[in-house]
Amino acid sequence: MRDLKKYQDQIAKCSFCEFCQATCPVYLEDLLETHVARARMNLISACLVENSLPVSKRFEEVVNRCLLCTNCVQACPARIPVDEMVVSARHKLYGGKRQGLVRRKLLRQFMEQRGFGSILGRAGAIAAGTGLFPEDFPKPAARPFSETQQGVIPAEGKKRARVAYFVGCATNAFYPGTAEDVIKVLSKNGIEVVVPEGVVCCGLPAIVEGDLETAAELARKNIDALSAQQVDAIVTDCTSCGRSLKTKFSKILPENDPALLKAIAIAEKTWEVTDYINQVGLADAPPAFSQKVTYHIPCHRGWSPAVANAPRSLLARIPGIQLVEMEFPEKCCGAGGTFFMEYKELSQGIRAKKVEDIVQTSAQILITQCPSCRSYLAPTLPDLKIMHPISLLARTYGI
Amino acid sequence: MKTLESDLGKIVGAEKVKTDPEDLFSYSSDATHYFVWKNPDAVVLPESAEDVSKVVRYAFDNSIPVTPRGAGSGLSAGATPIKGGIVLDMKRMRRIIEVNRGNMTAKVEAGVVLSNFHRAVEKQGLFYPPDPQSMDVCTIGGNVATRAGGPCGVKYGTTGNYVLGLEVVLPDGQVINTGGICVKQSAGYDLSHLLTGSEGTLGVITKINLRILPLPKARKTVVVVCDSISLAARLVSEIIASGTTPAKLEYLHKGAIGLMNMFVLKPLPVAGEAYLLIELDGGSSQVEEEARQVDKVCKEMQALEVRVVEDAQEAQSYWNARKNLNPILMSIFKKMINEDVTVPRDRIPELIKAVQEISASVGVNIGMGGHAGDGNIHPVVLMMEVSKELDKKADQAIEKIIRKGLELGGTISGEHGIGLHKAKFLALETGAAQIELMKRVKAAFDPKGIMNPGKIWTDGGKA
Repeated sequence: MRDLKKYQDQIAKCSFCEFCQATCPVYLEDLLETHVARARMNLISACLVENSLPVSKRFEEVVNRCLLCTNCVQACPARIPVDEMVVSARHKLYGGKRQGLVRRKLLRQFMEQRGFGSILGRAGAIAAGTGLFPEDFPKPAARPFSETQQGVIPAEGKKRARVAYFVGCATNAFYPGTAEDVIKVLSKNGIEVVVPEGVVCCGLPAIVEGDLETAAELARKNIDALSAQQVDAIVTDCTSCGRSLKTKFSKILPENDPALLKAIAIAEKTWEVTDYINQVGLADAPPAFSQKVTYHIPCHRGWSPAVANAPRSLLARIPGIQLVEMEFPEKCCGAGGTFFMEYKELSQGIRAKKVEDIVQTSAQILITQCPSCRSYLAPTLPDLKIMHPISLLARTYGI
Repeated sequence: MKTLESDLGKIVGAEKVKTDPEDLFSYSSDATHYFVWKNPDAVVLPESAEDVSKVVRYAFDNSIPVTPRGAGSGLSAGATPIKGGIVLDMKRMRRIIEVNRGNMTAKVEAGVVLSNFHRAVEKQGLFYPPDPQSMDVCTIGGNVATRAGGPCGVKYGTTGNYVLGLEVVLPDGQVINTGGICVKQSAGYDLSHLLTGSEGTLGVITKINLRILPLPKARKTVVVVCDSISLAARLVSEIIASGTTPAKLEYLHKGAIGLMNMFVLKPLPVAGEAYLLIELDGGSSQVEEEARQVDKVCKEMQALEVRVVEDAQEAQSYWNARKNLNPILMSIFKKMINEDVTVPRDRIPELIKAVQEISASVGVNIGMGGHAGDGNIHPVVLMMEVSKELDKKADQAIEKIIRKGLELGGTISGEHGIGLHKAKFLALETGAAQIELMKRVKAAFDPKGIMNPGKIWTDGGKA
């Protein structure tokens, strides 16, 4: 991702079919062709590789006004990695300094501590209390998951497998309950869980900034922490973390990096936890749970073929659950990590359409694997319970 | 260009006017990007016919070219601003104004995306058949302007067959309403259908009244595997002659099947040389009966395999793969020139044979695939490399194909329109007298020649 020139062959594959207009959430709000993948990546090539157009504020806006949701990549008949080109362009434009110094420092600490650790914790709590956090920003949990649980959680009954559980920043800082549910559900199903020490952020926030050096540093730390584990699989509850582990580590590391082989080994073992549970099968049939549920498919779903469908398959195993599909379950919620803070109006416009679609289903529970989607949707859906599919399974077990 | 920007800003509001180089760059081409690349001087994003009228009037007073544009997914360079000026991006006019069930008609704004309209009517058990393969992005206004069609053309015709009336902004800014919403109309010249297919050269289409149908109760997909191209070609006319009219009847070469297999739920057998992908629709007993009929005809003619697809999801996956075929090909080859020659269905075998011979004699790679059932088989020049020499050969081959198509009683364009891409061939089909007449029509509508100049005729149709 460091060398934009390497994407020229990919850009040449763009047939200008404009199919990317159908799914780009930013385009569908702005309705301006400059803000869709076809123009975006050809502009990147013109401004940063061929130098046929000068770099301008407007060009920077085109590069930054992208959620990196990958919906264009998924709709592209040639599967051109537009998101990687945008990241690469940000890397070239800003060299990791897209944000001001204070924000960069805060982000760096957040990623290393997977949330608000000891230093930021108090400040974070105060900020939350005084309303310093931006609108729609989730409130941090009193105690992050990493402070309550480490080490090995044994399997209940006969041990069927041993997995390492990768807990990302958002789950750690805002949704420790989800992590506890994951552990309980895995354990109840005969799976021994290791919560490895030394894990840091998956690096996605740094990738978004085009800060590939920091992303590589974080990747190396994670690779060390995860490679040390003797496990059958690495699971994560977060589709974005899963995507980093599965597809990004090897791309972020420079060529010939000694950690590359380990990165590939990790990628091979990485699963989204719902998908993993489906794969190994539930130890016992869950009790009936009569609820009307709808499922929002996170944008970062393309990294493994069964991720998008896994919650549906899981729900089909729970008697009494009624899954009511939205018209467009795969439509973006507008959060895009921290995108919603910079492009408030745009994100709220995208979210409003999503919310309308969700409300139409008259479901009582909304499930989705992405913590960022959960926290961004929550304030607009006060009447719905919003949870990870594994938490829903945990509720049926009564845990 | 500062004056243009500020003038347009005053007329429609600055938010609807874009003149930054990045925006102009983004509107410089369509899906024929290898063919033409020219920036406009301004992009305007109108939200109403009134906006359009004011902008067009301004352009008229100042003799500035105006190029209306839908999704920019066209295959004839029709929506490209080759003379600069103003691009009117119609995609913000995207309201479905009315679906009138009692009259089986609908009224839409020009920028409505086709598949959104499909979904809207299908939710009510209704059906709007035209299905260009870019349906997820292309606009109905663009479809009307180019008389676009798709696989459904076999049974249901193309966009033009559904147009009942139009709201059009004329080049001097006047807004007219042609036709109406009646299914029978006989009042004077049929201006709706003169403007349909006029490719933005006569005015700007802002609203469209469309005929719609009840949604067929049943659908069935049939795949026919043939050991030779000629057998597939003969089968097309045999199936039509047998009295069965499939909704879709696509011809595909084995190379295309390999690519499509990446998308389908149950891969197609790769043993064949050529394939037919058929969809039958109608009442359920009629569909069953027609499936039997197709099966019988194909087996009698010794097709290798006839697969009647029972699973609806599997069937849908074939059609999704078909939809992606053209862009995949375009991404594999460095350059691809998409032809749109259409011949009477019974002449398909002759056209296919001729195209193969032309490919061999000129020495360029020409693929074929498409809506064989309506005679629209899309020969495609596929180029792995781009060179002057190859371009010349491609031009030769295309001219030969076009002449052959016309000799067989065909037309140079079935559904893409003329645009810039086929302008030099139009006279071959129509003859000089019709071209002169068309130019007089153009002059009557557009005396200053501001509307999409440089298209349809090689000399831009200047009066």
